[in-house]
Amino acid sequence: MSGAFQFADEGPAIRNLSGIDWSLLAATLLLALAGLATVHSASAEMPVDYLPRQALWVGLGLAVMAGMALVHHRTILDLAFPAYLGGLALLAAVLVIGTVRGGARSWLGIGGLGLQPSELAKLTTALWLATYLADVNRRHAGAKEIFTAGAIVAAPMALIALQPDLGSAAMFVPLLGGMLLVAGVRWRVVVAGAVAVLVLGAGLWFFGLQDYQRQRVHTFLNPSSDPLGAGYQVQQSKIAVGSGGLAGKGYQQGTQSQLRFLPARHTDFVFAVLAEEWGYLGTLAALGLYAVWIVNALRIGLRARERESVLLIAGLVSLFAFHVVYNTAMVVGLVPITGIPLPFLSYGGSFTLLNFGITGLILGIDARRYVNA
Amino acid sequence: MEIQRQFREELNSRLRVLSIGVSALLALVAGAFWYVQMVQGSHFRELAENNRLRRLSIRAPRGPIYDRDGELMVENTPSYHLLMDRSRSADVDASLAFAAHLLGRPLEELRANLERARRQPDYQPVPVARNLTLAEVAEISALSLEHPELEIDVGHLRLYRHGAQTAHVLGYLGEVNERELSADDGGPPYRPGDLVGKKGIERIYDGVLRGHDGERAVVVDSRGRLVQEYGRVDAEPGATLTLTLDLGLQQAAERLMRDRVGAIVALDPRDGAVLAMVSSPSYDPNQFARGIRPAEWQALLDDPNDPLQNRAIQNVFSPGSVFKMVMATAGLAEGVITPRDRVYCNGSTTIYNHRFRCWKGIGHGSVDLQRAMSQSCNVYFYHLGKNLGIERIERWARAFGFGEPTGIELGNEKAGLVPSPAWSLRVRGHPWFPGETISVSIGQGALAATPLQVARTMAAVANGGHLVTPHLVQGAAPRPVRDLPVDPGILALVRQALAGVVEPGGTAYYAAHLDGVRWGGKTGTVQVVSGQPGETDEDRPWELRNHAWFASFAPLEDPQLAVVVFNEHGGAGSSGAAPIARDLYRYWFDRQDRERTATEAAQQVASVAAP
Repeated sequence: MSGAFQFADEGPAIRNLSGIDWSLLAATLLLALAGLATVHSASAEMPVDYLPRQALWVGLGLAVMAGMALVHHRTILDLAFPAYLGGLALLAAVLVIGTVRGGARSWLGIGGLGLQPSELAKLTTALWLATYLADVNRRHAGAKEIFTAGAIVAAPMALIALQPDLGSAAMFVPLLGGMLLVAGVRWRVVVAGAVAVLVLGAGLWFFGLQDYQRQRVHTFLNPSSDPLGAGYQVQQSKIAVGSGGLAGKGYQQGTQSQLRFLPARHTDFVFAVLAEEWGYLGTLAALGLYAVWIVNALRIGLRARERESVLLIAGLVSLFAFHVVYNTAMVVGLVPITGIPLPFLSYGGSFTLLNFGITGLILGIDARRYVNA
Repeated sequence: MEIQRQFREELNSRLRVLSIGVSALLALVAGAFWYVQMVQGSHFRELAENNRLRRLSIRAPRGPIYDRDGELMVENTPSYHLLMDRSRSADVDASLAFAAHLLGRPLEELRANLERARRQPDYQPVPVARNLTLAEVAEISALSLEHPELEIDVGHLRLYRHGAQTAHVLGYLGEVNERELSADDGGPPYRPGDLVGKKGIERIYDGVLRGHDGERAVVVDSRGRLVQEYGRVDAEPGATLTLTLDLGLQQAAERLMRDRVGAIVALDPRDGAVLAMVSSPSYDPNQFARGIRPAEWQALLDDPNDPLQNRAIQNVFSPGSVFKMVMATAGLAEGVITPRDRVYCNGSTTIYNHRFRCWKGIGHGSVDLQRAMSQSCNVYFYHLGKNLGIERIERWARAFGFGEPTGIELGNEKAGLVPSPAWSLRVRGHPWFPGETISVSIGQGALAATPLQVARTMAAVANGGHLVTPHLVQGAAPRPVRDLPVDPGILALVRQALAGVVEPGGTAYYAAHLDGVRWGGKTGTVQVVSGQPGETDEDRPWELRNHAWFASFAPLEDPQLAVVVFNEHGGAGSSGAAPIARDLYRYWFDRQDRERTATEAAQQVASVAAP
């Protein structure tokens, strides 16, 4: 215990690989591979092929995943509050010096690459939220804790909503909800919270939405009313998905995707490309991999030793699951269109890094479950 | 922070709730995908197909039409039409209004065009406006992103170089109607907006002229922009038609009939080729080609002289004295008369207790066939008719082509009428009056014929007894020719008699003699009303004046041209029709002289130039 810097009470990062949850890792890698293939197919008729870029992001993501797994989660959680503040600072900075893409000032240019601080903020907020709620070492979290937790989440949400990127801002709700649920909020409070979210949503609908956003919901309810307008995406996405049938049209044979009928087909609607080219079998396989990822990640929570870890996993998996469920439901026409990408499949740098980071974090928590602190 | 044992269970149960909840949501999504992909799969597959493949037609250029000397009469120029693809329009009415505003045309007009194709599937683009200017085409093309439902179709505008001069022969095109759309004529199917021949050569030879439209199967993206050509069948242009028409003669004939009402038919008597066919008044077929305006259409309909009617084949009139050449042939062939037999004409004769007048009140005196013909003596032919009897007259009239369509490739041709006792009983319900035979002998009574029928008869007389089929298109299948049961010598006699008409002493000599050429013809005058004593034809208003016929051929030896003129309310045949025919021959022979002189001059130049 002398000389070299070491984490005094933390021991080796990962003692042996037997602690790794191979199912979670395998699901992650398979989804990332499927993402690379589908992004390549989706961008066939685009000016640029997004495959090399996404491959770069996946490569970086693997490094981030390894890093997050290897660094002791205790260390990471210890840095939760400064990380949270750092995240808020970046969100504030992007409002001033960020670049505008797609109508929102949400990008920070670093070198040649653009990064979205909002994705990083999801992780830092989750870390601080888990740390805070873990201290409430009681059977049920009280009103004070709930409001404090809400405030912790409200700060980054507000900054992101100012960009304005309401879709990303809304992602903090499942993060908060999942964490509070597991943190032991009374069931009646859970129900009340669900009602509150609905009421809030309705209020937002009537007072807070821009016209184009309201239009999106309108056309969601009746997509054929305006086939070339806002309902167009829904309609085209459903055509792509539906025409895939059972076995799909074959890789790179999706006419909807190849012929540019499908908008945002390498990002938010990438799952429609997959569904068209691989059919319902492909859909089931992908949804199955997500189920494996989610269920195994939550199972890690069951055996995690620290309360912070359990809450962190609950929040991050809720966030991840919400992305998966909402995006796929949007592609199949169940819910209105918002810019919510699909983990590992959608093209995108920051979001890919975030999901690999989350995975690494959870894998690391699991790998160290036998280590005595 | 290590988890206290009493909280572990609570945490885990909550995690399981979360796990179950998320799994349930994933199952719900999987169910939704099952519904869309498995249950509705074929429906969406169909939509996907419609999304990507479109069939664009390549319009086959319609065949050009030339006259017999290769003079271009009908050609095509590019034209641009506005199509609407209703399946791409969110609001068809708004799209129509936009197009109408942009083109400055009445909305109702565009709507009516759209209405016409309402039974077509939505994704089939239908024409809403024709013949756009290039500026309009550019404007609409520039707006293709905002208005993907508006498309430009490049078509071919039919250009009739000589407009009204050739209208009744060439006919015109019109947009295909619902009935024609559903009809199967064996050719390629029509599509809405297609132009089809509605009249004349354009109609009869539509299948030949139309060609086969080509098609491009193209892959388009969601904005209808072409991504890739899948397959292509090039258009087969319509066949070129060369007519028998002699454009110069046609134009000369048209000039002669201008401001007159009637028809001129000029045939080559040797084979029935139509060299000129004019019906007056006429119309400009180019009006139809570019889409006739309601006012123009109404004007054509309101014209009491019906410019749309082809008087050469659709108007029937009594042939009058023109019929005497049939009578003379029949009389000689049946042995009822000889050329030397004479009849005394004192201005009238009484047959069947009825007094029949000659047109010349004081009478012609003693006339043989030659004089009876050249002076058009009615009394001679009254007796001939009586001796022939109606059955033989009918038989000979039919042999010369009366009472049946000539078979010219124009359609809507009238058959005319050859009356007979059987016809009288069948149609009129009463027996034939013997006196009617006498009227028919001079081409009056119920006998009725078109100018083309008379021209065909004239041709048969001129060519030595071959009843040819008048035709307009060169090089088609050989036309039927019916040989008359008559000795050529008899017809030579008849031709000699006809020559007397335009020679000194003939009815048409003063009005219509032709220097340097021997020819023949027969005048005819058809009474419109019975004249009052002392009243001349010129005293009456135009619409009550007599109709003038002249049937003729030239030259007397080796006839090359048969001309029939029918001038409605033109007065007597000798003054109202014969001079018109004479002028046409003058044009014909003058042109021949000029051509001969030019050829000789060229030969002289050639022989001088040669060593």
